[in-house]
Amino acid sequence: MTLRNSATHWGSVSKTFHWLIVLLLLGQGTVGLLMGDMPRGPDKLVLMNLHKSVGITILALAVLRVLWLLVAGRPHPAPGVSARNRMLAKLGHLVLYALLFAVPLTGWLLVDYGGRDLGWFGLLELPNLVSENHDLHEAFEAAHELLFWALTATALGHALAAAYHHVFLKDATLARILPGSKRISPDGGPA
Amino acid sequence: MPLQTRTALLACLLLANLPARAADYQQAAGSTLGFSGTLEGERFEGRFPGFTTRLRFDPAKLGEARLDVIIPLAGATTGNRDHDAELRGESLLDVRRFAQARYTASRIRALGGNRFAADGVLSLHGIAKPVTLTFTWTAGKQAVLVGTASVRRLQFGIGSASYADTGTLSDLIVVDTRVVFAPVAPMR
Repeated sequence: MTLRNSATHWGSVSKTFHWLIVLLLLGQGTVGLLMGDMPRGPDKLVLMNLHKSVGITILALAVLRVLWLLVAGRPHPAPGVSARNRMLAKLGHLVLYALLFAVPLTGWLLVDYGGRDLGWFGLLELPNLVSENHDLHEAFEAAHELLFWALTATALGHALAAAYHHVFLKDATLARILPGSKRISPDGGPA
Repeated sequence: MPLQTRTALLACLLLANLPARAADYQQAAGSTLGFSGTLEGERFEGRFPGFTTRLRFDPAKLGEARLDVIIPLAGATTGNRDHDAELRGESLLDVRRFAQARYTASRIRALGGNRFAADGVLSLHGIAKPVTLTFTWTAGKQAVLVGTASVRRLQFGIGSASYADTGTLSDLIVVDTRVVFAPVAPMR
């Protein structure tokens, strides 16, 4: 497995970005939902600070991931995919990337509008983008949650599409993003 | 010098020497109003910037004593923005609904020496309750009052969600203050 992406396979850097972000998003979504149900208090503050730190991590990884994509390119879609499905996939990926930025950014803004600190594991303090505003805090809180559900739905569709490729189209779309899939046959199918 | 001028001058001198209700004071720079308590077993401190104090006080005429303190709450701070957001939020001070607190006292007792106690009423979070402020009084060109009061926050309905639990946040909040006074400028 190489670091860079080729026409037929994902390199280790892109795979690592993909799965690391998946794992972080699962944890982050769980913490976020738990937090929402918690009464205000110091325990909730602890969870909120964890959620903020992980959120900043995801945002940073998303930036690096896109930069890497621009440098390393991406494999072509597996052969035999219809033009319509290619368009759908392209659109889906675009929405996923957009939400990957929009969810943390609305989180950042809701924290700033709420007049709270935004720190990264107590090591780094992020600047305030805006000044305190109660109404906008509430609005961005609602937006953050709505976009989170949109991301969840889109990611679920993404996973189902990958499963469809694997099970019904029997192509390498899923296999080539899986960790450790080293040998890729020239036609893009699993070796 | 004509007689009239001399009379006018004398009147001015007499007026200037008259004590202009000497016991009326207003707050001067260097005054502080702080609070402290325990959050999850750890002591915290904070302060209320921008409070204003008016005082009529003469240890020899305690019957005329009046104390009036206005405390804006929106700027209440512990120095930690997360905790400040909690403090000002709905589960504690709720500053959007209750923008200020007020403490007024018209009964001040002598405790001996330069120590006194004001039996006043604190209006906070929409509730008014008696609170005693004990203080020392240091007279001088700039008189100084150093006082402390114990406030039971739950009496004022402060603390919902996890903050209803006194194991999380102590019921007892100690308020301490140091007020520097300048005599109110005499009317001219």
